[in-house]
Amino acid sequence: MRTKIRRFFALLLACTATVLLSACATSGDSESQHTLTLMGKKTDLEKSYMIRLFKQYEAATGNRLEIISFEDAAYEDEAAARFERGDVPDVFLHFNNAELTRFDVPANFRYLNDETWVGELTDSAKAYCLDGDGNLLGLPFWESSVSGCYYNKTILDSLGLKAATTQAEFDMLCETLAETGYTPVCWPVDGCSWMPQFGLDPIFADDPALLEQLNRNEIGYADIPAVTAMVEWIAAAADKGWFGDDYAETGWDQIAPALASGDAVMTFIWDTWFYTDFNAKGPYTVEDFALMPVFMNTVEGGTYEGGNLNMMMVNKNSGQLETALDFLAFCADPENYNMAFEGVSTVSCFQRQTTNIQSHMVSDASASVAERERVSTAATRIVGYNAEDVMAALDSLLSKKTDVPGCVEMMGASRAQRMTQSQASAPAE
Amino acid sequence: MKKKLLRSMWVILICVVATISIFVAYFRFISQRIYEDSTRQLQEIYSQVNHSFGAFVERNWGLLDGWGEYLALAGDGESGTVADFVAGEQEYWGFSQFYFLAEDGSCVTTAGEENTMGLDGALDSLFKDQENVMAGETLATGQEVTVFAVPAPAGSYRGFAYDAIAISYTNGDMANSLNVDAFSGKARCFVLHSDGRVLLSTQSGGGVFENYLVYLQAASDLDDAALARLQSSWEGGETGLLRCRIGGVDHCVLYQSVGYQDYILVSAVPQSVISEGFLSVQGITMAVLIAIFLVVVALLIFLFIARSRRQSQMAQMELQHRDLMFDALSNSVDDIFLMLDIDNQRADYLSPNVERLLGIPVQAARESLRVMEKCVLDGDRFIPREELEAIPLQGSISRECEYMHQTTGERRWYRLMVYHTGIQDVEKYIIVMSDRTEERKMNRNLQEALDAAQSANEAKSNFLSNMSHDIRTPMNAIVGFSVLLEKDADQPDKVREYTRKIKASSQHLLSLINDVLDMSKIESGKTSLNVDSFRLPELLSELNIILLPQARAKRQTLEVHVQGTPPEQLVGDKLRLNQILINLLSNAIKYTPEGGRIDFQVCELPQPSPQYAKLRFVVRDNGIGMSPEFTKRVFAPFSREINSVTNKIQGTGLGMAITKNLVDLMGGIIQVESEPGKGSTFTVELSFNLPEQDAQEQEAWLRSKVTHVLVADDDEAVCVNIREQLRDTGVDVSFVTSGGAAVEAAIQAHDRGEGFHVILLDWKMPDINGVEAARRIRERIGADVPILVLTSYDWWDIEEEARSAGIDAFMSKPFFVSSFMEVIRPLLLEAPKPIEQPQAVSDTVLQGRLFLVVEDNELNAEILTEMLRMEGASCELAVNGREAVEMFENSEPGHYDVILMDVQMPVMNGYEATRVIRTGSHPEARTIPIVAMTANTFAEDVRNALDAGMDGHLAKPIDMDAVRETVGRLLKRGSEEGGEERP
Repeated sequence: MRTKIRRFFALLLACTATVLLSACATSGDSESQHTLTLMGKKTDLEKSYMIRLFKQYEAATGNRLEIISFEDAAYEDEAAARFERGDVPDVFLHFNNAELTRFDVPANFRYLNDETWVGELTDSAKAYCLDGDGNLLGLPFWESSVSGCYYNKTILDSLGLKAATTQAEFDMLCETLAETGYTPVCWPVDGCSWMPQFGLDPIFADDPALLEQLNRNEIGYADIPAVTAMVEWIAAAADKGWFGDDYAETGWDQIAPALASGDAVMTFIWDTWFYTDFNAKGPYTVEDFALMPVFMNTVEGGTYEGGNLNMMMVNKNSGQLETALDFLAFCADPENYNMAFEGVSTVSCFQRQTTNIQSHMVSDASASVAERERVSTAATRIVGYNAEDVMAALDSLLSKKTDVPGCVEMMGASRAQRMTQSQASAPAE
Repeated sequence: MKKKLLRSMWVILICVVATISIFVAYFRFISQRIYEDSTRQLQEIYSQVNHSFGAFVERNWGLLDGWGEYLALAGDGESGTVADFVAGEQEYWGFSQFYFLAEDGSCVTTAGEENTMGLDGALDSLFKDQENVMAGETLATGQEVTVFAVPAPAGSYRGFAYDAIAISYTNGDMANSLNVDAFSGKARCFVLHSDGRVLLSTQSGGGVFENYLVYLQAASDLDDAALARLQSSWEGGETGLLRCRIGGVDHCVLYQSVGYQDYILVSAVPQSVISEGFLSVQGITMAVLIAIFLVVVALLIFLFIARSRRQSQMAQMELQHRDLMFDALSNSVDDIFLMLDIDNQRADYLSPNVERLLGIPVQAARESLRVMEKCVLDGDRFIPREELEAIPLQGSISRECEYMHQTTGERRWYRLMVYHTGIQDVEKYIIVMSDRTEERKMNRNLQEALDAAQSANEAKSNFLSNMSHDIRTPMNAIVGFSVLLEKDADQPDKVREYTRKIKASSQHLLSLINDVLDMSKIESGKTSLNVDSFRLPELLSELNIILLPQARAKRQTLEVHVQGTPPEQLVGDKLRLNQILINLLSNAIKYTPEGGRIDFQVCELPQPSPQYAKLRFVVRDNGIGMSPEFTKRVFAPFSREINSVTNKIQGTGLGMAITKNLVDLMGGIIQVESEPGKGSTFTVELSFNLPEQDAQEQEAWLRSKVTHVLVADDDEAVCVNIREQLRDTGVDVSFVTSGGAAVEAAIQAHDRGEGFHVILLDWKMPDINGVEAARRIRERIGADVPILVLTSYDWWDIEEEARSAGIDAFMSKPFFVSSFMEVIRPLLLEAPKPIEQPQAVSDTVLQGRLFLVVEDNELNAEILTEMLRMEGASCELAVNGREAVEMFENSEPGHYDVILMDVQMPVMNGYEATRVIRTGSHPEARTIPIVAMTANTFAEDVRNALDAGMDGHLAKPIDMDAVRETVGRLLKRGSEEGGEERP
């Protein structure tokens, strides 16, 4: 009830501000109005909460946002081309991943560690937006989720079993589930290349120095025992039937049916998936599921992966730097982000984010998540990492076309090739 | 065979089944025993585990009891003593946390951390009942631990009032403490409540089990009743063993009470793990038994294979021996054996003699029978496929074909017997090619013999017919004219005419009989050759002497040509050669009309061996010739061409047959070419041995000092021939082809002082003849140089004229070196002798002679006596050889002039009598001429007579001309040897 009253007042305030801003816009000084250029992927910018935010901002400030968007597939190249021509937008939307190196962050963007709104961020959201040197690169303004091992608690309860807290328990759980005729883990292949990165995250998140060595090419995957351990576990799990018999033929579309029917008991995915894609009919619904860490033999206690967030980055060379910084401050205002994310299923990025919807699965495991969550590291921080490449190598392994060392070798070779391509296309300093 | 095999199969099957049954029974027994042992072992293991767990629990509670009293005395812990104490104990005993507990469940650690415990509902037991407690607890961090708590004296720790103390172990620590590692960690062991809730698991990862009864309900084949009974057992603290399937795998579930509260120690072990030991033993046993079984089987198989191989080898060896035997057999016969495969029609077997008999390589014939087709003559096929396929099974066909040997071209006849056989559904064709060549030859020979016999019979009939005709004809004349002679005895002219005709008929009859006998002897194979050295010039000279008068009588030209330089001395049967050549030449004269020409040519043919000479004698005439048909059978006996000319010429028809047989006998060949009206040419080629070279002849030429000779003959070939013959003697021959040229050459040479040592002139030359030329030469060069006339004619008509013209000697053609030397030697070294001229025997040679006639036949003796009387001679008669010997022995020397000795006589034959006379003591025993007088007229008869010591041979009937010639010659020789002629 209190929330509803708060929402009402917030809406009233927003309407008032809009009316006032509109009045100013029609009668005020046109020189005080600014137009900020904002560049991002077309689909990203069409998210409802983004549209709401932009409208809110223009209404509240009288400034105008000139949206520059590209199709998803062409985004990186088109944006990089513009950057090369010196056509850098005032605000740039991008994930904190390896692709970002193409845009020469130190030269083009302002570090935001000293902004007043920094304390408003959750730890995990803030951690995601840092670079290797601890510089805050942008304001995370995105729907977030917790990736982990989502399991059918109803089934486990019916079997007198409970969630695993260690790798040994997870293995026992898989073994016992397999004994009783269930497919322990739904391990789809087609279009589901994110899974290996969950296992790799703790290796590099827990040891940044190792990540740096890897990125400097001082070592390779084969030099990291945990990587081999993960691949060995995947191979063993597949051999023991823990992924089922037909995992090689399954893909994105088969996850929901498998979980809804109870054929599969667990899968490695994120919570918001259950609200956006778990649409299959079956005896089991989202209410039957719970969250435990992902166990892939890389860390004993398992791991969760934090959300991958789109950051708003500010062109430090922009003539409208202050306006752009004000825009970010506007976005980090609790009133504004709560307005924008109202009703959106997401893990909170801000400390006082209250209008979003958070799953019971994450809430129930909040203590475990808080203890074991790691920033998405493999996919975002390993230079040359490509989820599809890793999945392809694992496919070769699981189809017996290669062995564990061969798979690790393939992973490394693919990454090296990507690195070479990336360096070739990186802007000259 | 099949029954035996079937029986063997049954025996093997029974053995295998029995072996497997024994194995199964054995393994069941062993399996049961081992399973029971394993189960007992399982129970013992988990009794020990339970005991250890109990001791563990008692130990913890004991520790807590002791620590409680100590802590009560230690105060509230502000000084840190308590904390240090607990830390020390924790490090030693390995528990994870120490708690001070209050009755409401609140608790505090030595570090002062506050917490709350429910002790799984056992707080009342702890505090009210003052019982020791063991319970599971989930901490605020979510960690699950096992708590051991005991009532303690009331106290406080850092202000926290407590009535109990507790320690906790993580489940991992508990598992380590229990240290259950039986069955290779494949057993699941739990400590759980009687309702199934799991307190802890001794197995890594076992913490995921929350309620084992629920798990069994879901994952095992136990129904609700069984589960209820199980739970009841657990609640009753019973111990038991349950077998069920969990997760599709057979398990043994062992349970027993821990002895504290309602805790049950439950272990679930897969039955396969329990039986692992058994399986190991079973595996080893199985492996050993299988190994033994396999060894036995391998041994049996080896023995079987070895036996089969041995049998196979024996069979193979036997087959090879049979093949060898068959090969040897087939090699020794002229039959070819062939086994043909019906499908591919290739030879499975082909006897090796095919190469010998047909000239086909065996291998090639075995690979393809097409090569056999090559041998079949007349375009026939070996065995057409359709013909083969038409033969019914077990049937046969036969055919005969002529085949030609592929290398020698020899033709042979084979009879093919083709048998279509089938053994065990395998069909073959067996072909036997029997050589019928000899049989065919024999048949042909028999046919030829039959034909010959018929021909011989016909010939005999013809012979008799011919004989009858040919004998009767002269006999008819003799008889007829004898009748007329008797009738006209008073008319001398008629008597002479009749006797002349009787004589001619008798001569013809005699020659006929001679030829018949000669032919008979040759054909009977009794004729042998009398091989001796003779001189070719002498032979030719004799021929010339004999035949030249006959030719001249018909005004024919008979010329003898010697081409090249044939050897003059030969070794051979001169008599037979003479007979051959006389036959040919006399036939030529006989069948050549008057004025015709007969050429007799002698030349030497190339001969590889220097020890032999091959001579060709060619008699060519331009007479009546022969038809081609007659030419083919001219050498057959009694063959005479019948035409208007030959009918007028007497002949027996045996001459050419005898000639041919004699030539064959001498290893030569005779050929004839003839054309009616143009003449005939007979060619005889004979080989002769050559005597060793006479070195004296060469020396004679050196001594003669004749080095330059002039020859003049209008026939240049004669000149060239003479020069060639004299080449080896070192004599240089200059020749001219006319008398005038001879005169000129001789004079010029003489004038140069290089006069010829001998001049040889042909008699008849176109310009001036030889005599005239000699006269002119003598006029210029005087009488020092011998001049000879070379002629083919008798020269006694011109001898006187020649002598007066200065001719020193005559030579008859053909020219021979030895004859030349004989003629010129006396001219060069001695005083010139009168020119020898073959003189005709005087008709009075017998006059006044006394003959000892030895004749047993009175009639013959009378005829001979009368004929000698008519010649002016006389004779004394002896009727056998002995009487003749006695009469001669008893006679005075010179009493008898000649002995005429019959050969076949009683008491003592002529040969023996001659030998006795010759060895006798009579002064004339070795000189008295003895002449055989016999009807045995063959050459060997003559030779036998001479061998017996006789000096001559006269054939009966006695021809007085022959008597005169022979006796005259012998008497002359006797006078020459004796220095004077007998009176």
